Amino acid sequence: MVTIDLSTMPIRRANEVIRGYGSTHQNVEILNPDARHYIGVGLINPITVWVRGSAGYYCGGLTDGPNFVVEKNVSWGVGDNMFRGSIVVGGNAGAIAGEGLRGGEIVVKGNLGSRAGQVMKKGTLCCAGNANFMAGYMMYGGRLIILGNSGPRVGEDMMGGEIYVGGDVESLGNDAMVADPASTEIDSVMEFLDSYGIPFKGAFKKIVCAGKQLRYSTPEPRIRNKPFFTFSGGEADYWNPKVQEDIQVKSIIGRYRIRGYGASRHVPHFSDLAFKKDVTRAGGDPGVVSKVNLRTFIGDKHGGRALDLSMPVMVAPMSFGALSPPMKTALGIASRLSGISENSGEGGMLSAERAEARQMIAQCLAGRLGWNVHDMKRADGLEIYISQGAKPGLGGQLMAEKLTKEIAEVRGIPAGMDLRSPSRHPDILGGDDLIMKVQEFREAVGWRLPISIKLGAGRIRDDIKIALKDGLDFVELDGMQGGTGAAGSEVLEYVGIPTISAIIEALDGLDEIGAKGQLPVVLMGGVKNGVDAVKALCLGATAVGLGTSMLIAGGCIACMQCSVGSCPVGLATQDPDHVRRLDTEKRALMIHRYLEAIRWQIASLTSELGYTDVRQLSRDDLVALTPEAAALTRLPYRPEYREEIRNALNEQGAMEP
Amino acid sequence: MCAIAGILFKRSEKSNIKMTTGRALTEMLDGTLHRGPDSAGWALYKDAEEDRIRLRFLIGENGEARNDIEKIKAELQRLRGEIVEEETLGCSYGVKVLYRGDVQQFSHELGKNTQLVSLGSRLEIIKDVGQPYDLAPKYRIHEFDGDHGLAHVRLATESGVHPDTSHPFWACGFADVATVHNGQLTNYWIMRRRLERKGMAFQTENDTELIAVYLAYQMSQGATLEDALKTSLDELDGTFSYLVATRDSIGYAKDKLAAKPMVKYEDDELIAISSEEVGLNRLFPGRALDTTEPPPFTYGLWSREA
Repeated sequence: MVTIDLSTMPIRRANEVIRGYGSTHQNVEILNPDARHYIGVGLINPITVWVRGSAGYYCGGLTDGPNFVVEKNVSWGVGDNMFRGSIVVGGNAGAIAGEGLRGGEIVVKGNLGSRAGQVMKKGTLCCAGNANFMAGYMMYGGRLIILGNSGPRVGEDMMGGEIYVGGDVESLGNDAMVADPASTEIDSVMEFLDSYGIPFKGAFKKIVCAGKQLRYSTPEPRIRNKPFFTFSGGEADYWNPKVQEDIQVKSIIGRYRIRGYGASRHVPHFSDLAFKKDVTRAGGDPGVVSKVNLRTFIGDKHGGRALDLSMPVMVAPMSFGALSPPMKTALGIASRLSGISENSGEGGMLSAERAEARQMIAQCLAGRLGWNVHDMKRADGLEIYISQGAKPGLGGQLMAEKLTKEIAEVRGIPAGMDLRSPSRHPDILGGDDLIMKVQEFREAVGWRLPISIKLGAGRIRDDIKIALKDGLDFVELDGMQGGTGAAGSEVLEYVGIPTISAIIEALDGLDEIGAKGQLPVVLMGGVKNGVDAVKALCLGATAVGLGTSMLIAGGCIACMQCSVGSCPVGLATQDPDHVRRLDTEKRALMIHRYLEAIRWQIASLTSELGYTDVRQLSRDDLVALTPEAAALTRLPYRPEYREEIRNALNEQGAMEP
Repeated sequence: MCAIAGILFKRSEKSNIKMTTGRALTEMLDGTLHRGPDSAGWALYKDAEEDRIRLRFLIGENGEARNDIEKIKAELQRLRGEIVEEETLGCSYGVKVLYRGDVQQFSHELGKNTQLVSLGSRLEIIKDVGQPYDLAPKYRIHEFDGDHGLAHVRLATESGVHPDTSHPFWACGFADVATVHNGQLTNYWIMRRRLERKGMAFQTENDTELIAVYLAYQMSQGATLEDALKTSLDELDGTFSYLVATRDSIGYAKDKLAAKPMVKYEDDELIAISSEEVGLNRLFPGRALDTTEPPPFTYGLWSREA
């Protein structure tokens, strides 16, 4: 056994040393831990680590295989997202012990803090003493054993798994109920306790999900085969056919409607901005792509290896779950062919997609669905999702039709429910928590990777200051035009701010604290093509993210019914009959060709504006065509440009954009 | 985006830890520095002297200091506070004045034309931009060895980091009441307007100041500190773990979701509170401590043994 003394070795080096010993199968003893944070984070070898004292936050977090023995206490988040292995804590555990547990066993000989086992999915979390407020909060599976009292609201919003309480059940949480434990279950619990030498005499009460809130009660009726397209609905502002249909459907289902995509009404957007210079002759040079420097590096602000983008474009995060496996694979292929990056979205990393993409960001959301240390280590970037433009403030949503066994397995949850992901991370409730989570992620991957944050706009002016201070490497900023696989339609239409507003708020926020240019922003939310991309770059974005346009390039017909699960093209569905229709290679090439068209557009416009490098684009290249866009972007209001554009296009016999 | 710290010695003997109260607070802050690297502050409870009030002001540094001090002296003279002792350290100007009138009125008036940071028979608040280890020698924190105090480190995200947005905050108008807070109040403006209608004044828009004024107001209406802590649990909305100190006690309250951490350690000599156990461990390096984390929606109070 080797010894590490934390009073003389900083934790970052200690973790590297531990990993080194781990790979040579040597056990480790930690002296003078003094409640320091991140002990053993990221360890994936089956060694034993003795902590001679108390550990701080995330002890044994994001691990797979090791056994930890902590002599005294642990602070928050012990065993965060552990995959396999064990942790035995001699004293008490702070809040969110065993959060996101994916397997293995955690035994706390003392008491548990609040929200123990939040969003855990598998494995066993056991406490010989008492638990606290909301034990088992939003658990998806696994087993929580409490020998003492449960504390208030035990099992709040649980969706799967079992909680065994040996003492008093102070009060039940929302949608939790008491059930009779089977004798086999009790035998298994007693066997578990025996294996850890914990005596217990008494009876267990079993608490499980009551199941009353897992599914929406009334399905939405299909009034027509394909409902209204984007931006349609009649000329009148009210009582038009679209409004009537909305009222009629709600009179049947008595709740909010759910659909895919983002805001479908007009809000100020890139089309309300124009280039100051006459660019009607752009595109004349077939070799322009080689004459403009498009290559963009992003993410190395804190020493991680930057993403290397051949042009300032990234594929926006879209989940495996919302999209079908061949569609995710197609995106992976297209991103590789076009030399840009891809993003897992919520719900875990699909191996086929990971194999095809050259650069892939792994995204971590509040439910920790599919999140695990191995996907972290094989990613090229890590991203903490706080919110997205389509539904700022809410978590992901995947309807039961699309929550197949395969997806449920990757995500680590039971199949068949109308899954609503939590809107808040269990361990990120403020800027001080976010800093510690970013540190934990860095420890888990040895500080190798960029760590970004996904923000829906929102109060972006405040949020970006926190992102800067908390050590993120870049921001993926999503305006309200950004799409999603499923969300309530009122939220999609009316919550959030337009994309062009978002970038201004973000840059203003950084400016206010004297941090101009210090945090790259990738802007997304209704970016349709290279023209929009160039405008975004002019406004100050470092790159753009493309989501919906990638789907349309891949064959999406924009019916906005992604949530229903019977996408006719086979890209936003898990129904095998529909999925079969999607030819991965064909779609990948279509998306790739569209990306190349975008590359060509960006290069042509940049060149026509007089530059050889996209970084030379600036606000001075733009004007606003409407008073709203002028007010939002503070660009000069030049309505006469609309006239000029129209005339120029009429000369060429083209159609107005 | 902060970390809080508090310490109270129950008796005069101090054999368990070998550092002054000021140094103990500084060590706890440094242990949790990752939560708040931008600014720091201490609320120290020094010895009371009859008829003397301790005042602390924020002044500019270097050139502006003289003007600010002149202005303060003029104000004190106008309000009939006789300066008995004075001290200038960094951006803090401290005075002991002889004053026998209405303290609330006095402080309201003073606060109009000066940056009055604390007022009390025992309380002195010292806060500045920077980190605890650097600020402590500048402000002679380690010389303080009284029986209780609070401290705080802050991560600032609003524009500019200024000393006046750092914690601790004094309850404007009420002698000796100071608070430190980790979290964010979501009903700040509603509560503030309610208190303003009752004649309370605020010097900043910081929600920690509101907690201080709220508690002080309750106490001025006859509630004990314990009552005030209890009602705060229902009336304050948002995430919070806060500490409040008065002439002779320290109290805490924790919001109903326990969203913000707070750990305490108690033995026969002292009670120490920190946002994280790693802060408490600074008082007892090498030892694994018996700590407890108060459950959500609870409050507590400790006073020095008579």
